[in-house]
Amino acid sequence: MQSAPLPETLANLLGLDPNSTAVMIVLSLVGAGLIGTLMMTNTALAGPWAKRKITAAFTDRIAVDRIGPYGLFIIVADAVRLLSKELIVPEGADRPAWDLAPLIIASTALLGFAVIPMGNGIHLADPEVGLAYVFAVASTTSIGLVMAGYASNNKYSFLGGLRAVAQNLAYEIPLILTGASVVIFAGSLQMSEIVAAQQQSLIGPLPSWYAFVNPFAFVLFMIANLAEVGRNPFDIPEAPTEIVAGYQTEYSSVYFVLIYLGEFIHIFLGGAIIATIFLGGPAGPVLPGIVWFLIKIWGVFLFTQWARSAVPRVRIDQLIEIGWKGMLVLSLANLLLTAVIVGVTV
Amino acid sequence: MSLEKPSRDTALDVGVTEDGLDYDALADLLGGHVLDREEHVNAEGFVIRPDEVQEVLSTLKEEAGFDHCACVTAQEYDDRYESIYHLRKFDDPTQELSIIVPSPKDDPHNESAARVYDTADWHEREAYDLVGIDYDDHPDLRRILLPETWQGHPLSQDYNQDQPQIVSLREHANPLEDDKRSEDDPDTMFVNIGPHHPATHGVLHVETVLDGEQIADLEPDIGYLHRCEEQMCQQGTYRHQIMPYPDRWDYISAGILNEWAYARAAEDLADIEVPEYAQVIRTMAAEMCRIASHELALATFALDVFGDFTAVFQYGIRDREIVQNLLEDLTGQRLMFNYLRLGGVAWDLPEPREEYFEKIRDFLDDLPHKLEEIHDLVTGNEIFQMRCVDTGVLSPEQVKQYGATGPVARGSGVDYDIRRDDPYGYYDELDWNVVTEQGGDNFSRVLVRLREVEESARIIEQCVDLLEQWPEDDREIQANVPRTLRPDPDKEIYRSVEGAKGELGIYIRSDGTDKPARFKIRSPCFSNLQTLPEMSQGEYIPDMIASLGSLDIVLGEVDR
Repeated sequence: MQSAPLPETLANLLGLDPNSTAVMIVLSLVGAGLIGTLMMTNTALAGPWAKRKITAAFTDRIAVDRIGPYGLFIIVADAVRLLSKELIVPEGADRPAWDLAPLIIASTALLGFAVIPMGNGIHLADPEVGLAYVFAVASTTSIGLVMAGYASNNKYSFLGGLRAVAQNLAYEIPLILTGASVVIFAGSLQMSEIVAAQQQSLIGPLPSWYAFVNPFAFVLFMIANLAEVGRNPFDIPEAPTEIVAGYQTEYSSVYFVLIYLGEFIHIFLGGAIIATIFLGGPAGPVLPGIVWFLIKIWGVFLFTQWARSAVPRVRIDQLIEIGWKGMLVLSLANLLLTAVIVGVTV
Repeated sequence: MSLEKPSRDTALDVGVTEDGLDYDALADLLGGHVLDREEHVNAEGFVIRPDEVQEVLSTLKEEAGFDHCACVTAQEYDDRYESIYHLRKFDDPTQELSIIVPSPKDDPHNESAARVYDTADWHEREAYDLVGIDYDDHPDLRRILLPETWQGHPLSQDYNQDQPQIVSLREHANPLEDDKRSEDDPDTMFVNIGPHHPATHGVLHVETVLDGEQIADLEPDIGYLHRCEEQMCQQGTYRHQIMPYPDRWDYISAGILNEWAYARAAEDLADIEVPEYAQVIRTMAAEMCRIASHELALATFALDVFGDFTAVFQYGIRDREIVQNLLEDLTGQRLMFNYLRLGGVAWDLPEPREEYFEKIRDFLDDLPHKLEEIHDLVTGNEIFQMRCVDTGVLSPEQVKQYGATGPVARGSGVDYDIRRDDPYGYYDELDWNVVTEQGGDNFSRVLVRLREVEESARIIEQCVDLLEQWPEDDREIQANVPRTLRPDPDKEIYRSVEGAKGELGIYIRSDGTDKPARFKIRSPCFSNLQTLPEMSQGEYIPDMIASLGSLDIVLGEVDR
């Protein structure tokens, strides 16, 4: 069963004409707002609250529990606190690049969600090049990182920005190559097609999710994703004990919130891509699709937090080495093997 | 017993006899260089000419095996300035010799020893800074603890304490300007790491020149936490007023080890015999401090390598907390113990004693399991090994040149531990091992600390057994010490103990009053930190940070 993208569903729901361009533009914006709000809500939950609780659980602590049930109202308190801080602009900052960077970092990750099918008809658009589009917008974040690092006029930020580029170059290629191996299986770049291709049964009750069909690619993708979102062992661009906070050293107040937000949305986008191309998208028994989808992206989030709590950070040269000599070779091998297998069997 | 030293090369043993050093043989070796001989409590002192320092010291180093310049003490008398080089041997620190270099009052200067012992570099800079002696042929003689604009030398006699000092808050001049590398290699970048930086373990400022991500040049800039500890000690009375200060040198839970350094020096100076029962309590408490300190060292090192307040940091703190509770039960304090007294300890073990012993035993029983956990999480982790093995390498020769001691020296295979080599307290009655690792890298230093925690646990266990069986009528915790202690005038002593970070030594000169005339602290961190440039030259920033973490410095002790 294929559900129509969100604007059409909305049009049908409201009894408007789905063939009118004006209606579709307005409804697309409404749909984008809905999805954006959904993801922002998740981020708000993850940043100030869930992250603290999860890390605390890993380190034998309790974390926030004073304000509201389970300390949940800390989200409000943090929002007020962060937004009321002074916005400090460093002397010699290269504006407007310095102001644009947080916006780019926060918005590019959000754009990716436009093509992700979240189940229950929550799917803003379904272009034929869906997967390519997601990778493209996710990579644009790098530009924001470089801008932030270079425009801050701070040597730590500068180092952080350079590290971010080096890291993203080294890991985006394996990430995309591994993604391409899934495309070979599914025979399409379209997200809905990729999800649909994973619905048959593999063995018994086990669905043919690509994580089960090709666990090797799944592991590769999870690792590359850690680098892509900058979490341990690959949190080199920030590396608090080495270069203070990397590209975000000089940002405070709203700009800091935007960068922080962007980081978390990026983790969720990584989770969404993994859920879609490896974990059958919104598929799952009993519960509605959107719930399954959220469970899956939170699962990936939990994984990144686990890595952060327990794994040491590699050094920059080691990271580049792992990327170019290890991951790239393995992902190429994976792509080739997949192509051969698919070519022979189909 | 397991405390035997491995055999060593005997070619350098000039004047070594069964019952100590034969100073006549050493004086013969130096011939006409020795102008006069003085008796210090710990060793004899040879007075030499100020322009023959390098010659005398290299002879002693090359031909008599004095490879450890533990400390340089400078002081001003009414008629002269004086620098004392406290020499010892890494093989046997009980073989000591002081080289006394007087210099004239009107123009105090003598030859630098920095060309013979690298460690003298910083020590002489400190002597220049605080006392005002000029060292000729010193590679880089400038102030080290005080700001460059400081007027006068605070420990000299004509220093005017009331004179206002102007310490200008000026921006750093561009240090690349006179950086020679920048001309042929314009790609270098200067970065101030610290004094406010997440990984400098306090207010340390590391002036770093980077070539890409690699370190082209590096210089630690210290003194941000200088609190005039030596001068404060000189203004306190021996009996009670000095003891609280040592807690504030290495202030992260190594308090009792520091207190012991002062107690040992002052007790030997004033011939105070400490009751055995008190010595056992001291030994136990000191080893608890060592565990607490090493746990924190491990936790912060993990923080530097893992990159966040992660599980490992919390595990280290969790275990340290239990030791802190034990120490709190014993001393009433968690950090600033002030528990030792000259001639004993402040009070006996807490009542009921059985309950306290029970608590300690519970802790010791859990410890192996907890260390296992940490080994699983940290030293067994492959990424951790990738980061730490073969980075920040320090060779045994460098260790000796820089006078590095403690886990830093033992991590490079230098088998040097004052507890065994120059026994004090109750250590020589107990069964334990000195831990060494051969690697010399960041990983070895971490391993040494982890294994030393096990050895400390063994010591505590034996102390608890001893204390439990100690006859009730023999529990003497304090020797008979006069209310006002006035050691005989002109006695000089240099004594050290094995602190958490290494050889913590105290030099005291008495002048017949109830306050020391000169009180000098030989801080292990001060000497250990000197090795940082050697360790991190050409390494990446993360490795420099890891090396700094593995040195386990406490700025309170570096700057004093």
